Amino acid sequence: MTPSRRTTLQWMIAAAAMPLARWASPASAAEGANAPPFDTVADWPGAPPPLVATKGYGRDPTLMEPKVVWPLTLTRAQRATVDLLGDMILPADDVSPGAGQLGVGAFIDEWISAPYPTQQGDRATILGGLDWLDRQSIAQHGKDFAALGAPIRGLLLDALCVAVPSGKLEMPVKFMDRLRHLFVLGFYTLPEGKKDMGHVGDQPTEGPYPGPSVEARTHLAALLAELKLGERTS
Amino acid sequence: MSLDPASAPADVIIVGSGAAGGIAAYSLTKAGLRCLMLEAGRDYDPQQEVNMLAPESDAPLRGSATPDKPFGYFDATVDGGWEVDGEPYTSTKGSGFRWWRPRMLGGRTNHWGRHVPRWGAYDFKPFSRDGLGVDWPIGYDDVAPFYDRVEKMIGVNGGPIGLENHPDSPADCLMPPPAPRVPELLLKATAESMGIPVRAAHTAVLTRDMPDAVAPRSACFNATPCTRGCTIGAMFQTTTSFLPMAKATGRLTVVTDAMVSRVLTNQAGRATGVEYVDRKTGVRHQVSARAVVLAGGTGETTRLLLNSGEAGRGLANSSGELGRNLTDSTGASFSAFIPGLADRPRYNEDGIGGQHVYIPFWLYEKQKRGELDFARGYHFEVWGRFGVPSANVLPRAWGADLKKAVRSASGATIGLSLRGEMIPNKDTYCEIDPGVRDRFGIPVLRFAFRFSRQEVNQVAHGRRIAHALFERMNGRILDDPSLPPEKIMAAGGEIIHELGTARMGADARTSVVDSYGRAWDVDNLVLMDGAIFASGAHKNPTLTILALALRASERLAARFKSGAFA
Ligand SMILES: Cc1cc2nc3c(=O)[nH]c(=O)nc-3n(C[C@H](O)[C@H](O)[C@H](O)COP(=O)(O)OP(=O)(O)OC[C@H]3O[C@@H](n4cnc5c(N)ncnc54)[C@H](O)[C@@H]3O)c2cc1C
Ligand code: SF4
Repeated sequence: MTPSRRTTLQWMIAAAAMPLARWASPASAAEGANAPPFDTVADWPGAPPPLVATKGYGRDPTLMEPKVVWPLTLTRAQRATVDLLGDMILPADDVSPGAGQLGVGAFIDEWISAPYPTQQGDRATILGGLDWLDRQSIAQHGKDFAALGAPIRGLLLDALCVAVPSGKLEMPVKFMDRLRHLFVLGFYTLPEGKKDMGHVGDQPTEGPYPGPSVEARTHLAALLAELKLGERTS
Repeated sequence: MSLDPASAPADVIIVGSGAAGGIAAYSLTKAGLRCLMLEAGRDYDPQQEVNMLAPESDAPLRGSATPDKPFGYFDATVDGGWEVDGEPYTSTKGSGFRWWRPRMLGGRTNHWGRHVPRWGAYDFKPFSRDGLGVDWPIGYDDVAPFYDRVEKMIGVNGGPIGLENHPDSPADCLMPPPAPRVPELLLKATAESMGIPVRAAHTAVLTRDMPDAVAPRSACFNATPCTRGCTIGAMFQTTTSFLPMAKATGRLTVVTDAMVSRVLTNQAGRATGVEYVDRKTGVRHQVSARAVVLAGGTGETTRLLLNSGEAGRGLANSSGELGRNLTDSTGASFSAFIPGLADRPRYNEDGIGGQHVYIPFWLYEKQKRGELDFARGYHFEVWGRFGVPSANVLPRAWGADLKKAVRSASGATIGLSLRGEMIPNKDTYCEIDPGVRDRFGIPVLRFAFRFSRQEVNQVAHGRRIAHALFERMNGRILDDPSLPPEKIMAAGGEIIHELGTARMGADARTSVVDSYGRAWDVDNLVLMDGAIFASGAHKNPTLTILALALRASERLAARFKSGAFA
C-alpha cells in the first residue's frame, strides 16, 4: 500500500498495528508512580462468554448506506458503567460534551460486539475490565464501581494510569489503555470531537488548494527560526 | 441484441479492466478495433456507489480496517483485499507473500495511491549501471513520448524535479501542484538544510478541469479520501475515464463477472481466444478473437499463461522465465511526534488526497562512487495532517488532561513511508500450486519470496535518514530504532507493486515478451500489465504500466492495420 491522505483511516491502520507498549509520557508517568497503591488487587476475571456467532458486513457492503449489521451485546449495567467511564475519561468541558453524554458508549458496544479478531480481543479486555472494576471496588469499598463516589472512582482510574504496571495490575492497566484508546477514537471522529480539536476541513473547496493560513505560516516561521532552519515557508 | 454479449465478434479480447486493460480498451477502440473486455469482478459505477462525503463516524467501527475491508470500510475495493473468497493463493514454506486483488470493474485504479513518478534512464538500464539484474530492451527515450501522452490523458499534477534519474516532464504535461501544507514545509526546510531534496509529488489527481464530451472530469475539490473513489473524476480511475470513453466508440463490449481461466491456442501456436467462467453461474464459455491482450495484473496474467498451453509448462514459456523475476517495492514506515507542531494554528489541511511533496532518491552520485552499501534507490512519501492523534503520542492520562493532550497533539506527527527498489533474485517467483484450485477449479498461484541484503541495507539506510530528519526537527521518534531492518520491512506483496513475472527482453531465449509485450512464442498474444517489467524501480509502477500498455496497444493496432491478423 502506498499510504495516502492521512485521515483517521490511516491513523486507525497504524493504531491497529501498534502495540500499546510504547507509552512515553514522562509527566503522567511521574503522576502514575505517585498514585496510591492498593492494599489488595482483585483477581482478573476469567474469559467472558464468547460472542454469539454473527457475521461481519462482508467484502462488498453497500457503502452509500453504511450499517452495523451485528447486534450490540453489553448489558444495561455494563453500558451504564461504560458511559460513566466515558464521562470520566473524556469529561464535559466548555469546549465539548462528555464522551458518555455523546453516546460514545454505543460505539464501544458496537466495537466489542463485532465478529472480527481485533475487536474480539478487545471484547475480552473490556468485559474483563468492567468486571474487574466492580471486583476491585467491592474488595476495597464494599460496593460496585458505579456506586462509588466520584473522587474514589478517580483514584481507581489514576491507579490504572501507572507507567509500569506490575503483577496483578497489568491486565487492569491494559484494559484502561484499550478503553481510553477506543474512547478517543469514538469521540474525536464525531463531528463534536472534530470541533473540539478545532478541526477545519471536510468541506469541498473549489479552485486551487490555498495552503496554510497566515497564522499557520507565522507559527511555522517561528518554529523554523527556533530550529535554526531559516525563514523559508514556501 | 444477441443473447450473449460476449458472442459478438471481436478483434481483440482484453482480460482485465484496471490500469492496463483500461488504456488498452481506450487506445484500441479509438483505433477502430472491436474489443471484448472480460473482467473477473462485478460491474462497478463510482457515481452510484462511492460515499465520498460521509464522515468516518457513519461507518461501522469508525471505518477501521477489518479482515473484510483491510483498508477500512469506505475503501473502494470490492470483493477483495488480501483475500478473495473462494480464490486462494499459497506461499512456499516461510516466505509469506501477500497478494492484493479486487474483483471489480476498474481493478485497483478505483482505490490506489495515485503517486505517479516517471522512471528514469537508470531504471531501464540497471544492469549497465551496476551489473545487477538485466537491462530492458528499451530505454527512457523509447518510453518518454508515451509518458508525455499518458500524463496528459490521465491528468497528473506536479512540478519539476531536476535530479539525476528523475526526468522532468515537458512543459505542457503536468497540471500545477497544490501548495504544500505546514508539516510538508517543515520537512522541506529540514531536509534541504541537510542536502536532501523535497519536491512537488506527481499525483494522478486533476487540479484543473478536464472537459470531455463523454467523460468530463472536474478539478479536485480538496476534501475527501481518494481511496473511496472520486465521483467527480478528479483522481484517475478507469471507471470514470478510459472505460466510458472506450464504450462511447461503440466498439467496446464489457462482460463483468467473467473469470478467465486460460488462453486458447490452435495447432499453429496462435491464440484463438480464451475460456472464462461466469462467476455467478459457474458456467464455462469460450470466446474467440484475432488477438488476445492479458491485463489481469502481474500475478494473474502469469497464472493464466501457466494454466494454458502445455500442461506443466504453460503457454509462452519456452524461455522458462514465466513466473520468475517477481519483485515488489520495499516498504517501511517511520514517524515522529514533533513538539514544535503541537498546538499549532488550525487551517484547512485537506488539500488533494495524498502527499503534496515527497523526497525523491538523491544519492546516485554517492552510490556510483561506491559509498553506499546497497544498489538502487528509495524514496519517501510523506504524511502528517490534523486528525485524531494516535495512541502512541497521547499520555496515559484521563479526564481534562487527556482532552487537552488530544487537542495539542492533533497534527503534530510526521510520517515518512519508504518505498525502495527490489532487485530480482532467484528465490522470488510464482508458480502453479500442484495441489490447490480455486472455487472455479482453476489451479492457483504459489509464491516464493525473499529479500536480499541489498534491500535490507537499503531500508536500514532509509531509517537512518528518516530518524536524522526527525531529530533535526527535535522530534520524538515513534518507531523502535533497535529493531533489525528485516523486522521493519513490509512483507513481499504488501506494497502492492508486484512486477516482472513475464519479463520483456531483446532475446526470446531469456525473456517472455518483446518490448511491445508480444509473447515471443505466440504472435497474437500481448501482455500489457506489470508482468512484463524487466525490473522494478523505487518509483511506483502504474504510470509506466500505462505508458507501456499504450505503446503496446498502438503497436498492436498498427499490426492489425498492416494485415498481420487477417
Ligand atoms: C492501496 C493501493 C495503493 C496503490 N498506490 C499506488 C501508487 O501510489 N502509485 C502507483 O503507481 N501504483 C499504486 N498502486 C498499484 C496500482 O494500483 C497497480 O499498479 C495498477 O492498478 C496495476 O494495473 P493493472 O491493470 O495491471 O491491474 P489492476 O488494476 O489490478 O486490474 C486488473 C483487473 O483484472 C481483473 N482480473 C484479474 N484476473 C482476471 C481474470 N482471470 N479474468 C478476468 N479478469 C481478471 C481484476 O479483477 C482487475 O479488475 C496501488 C495499489 C493499491 C491497492
Ligand atoms: S481529494 Fe480530490 S481527487 Fe481525491 S477523491 Fe476528493 S475530490 Fe477526488
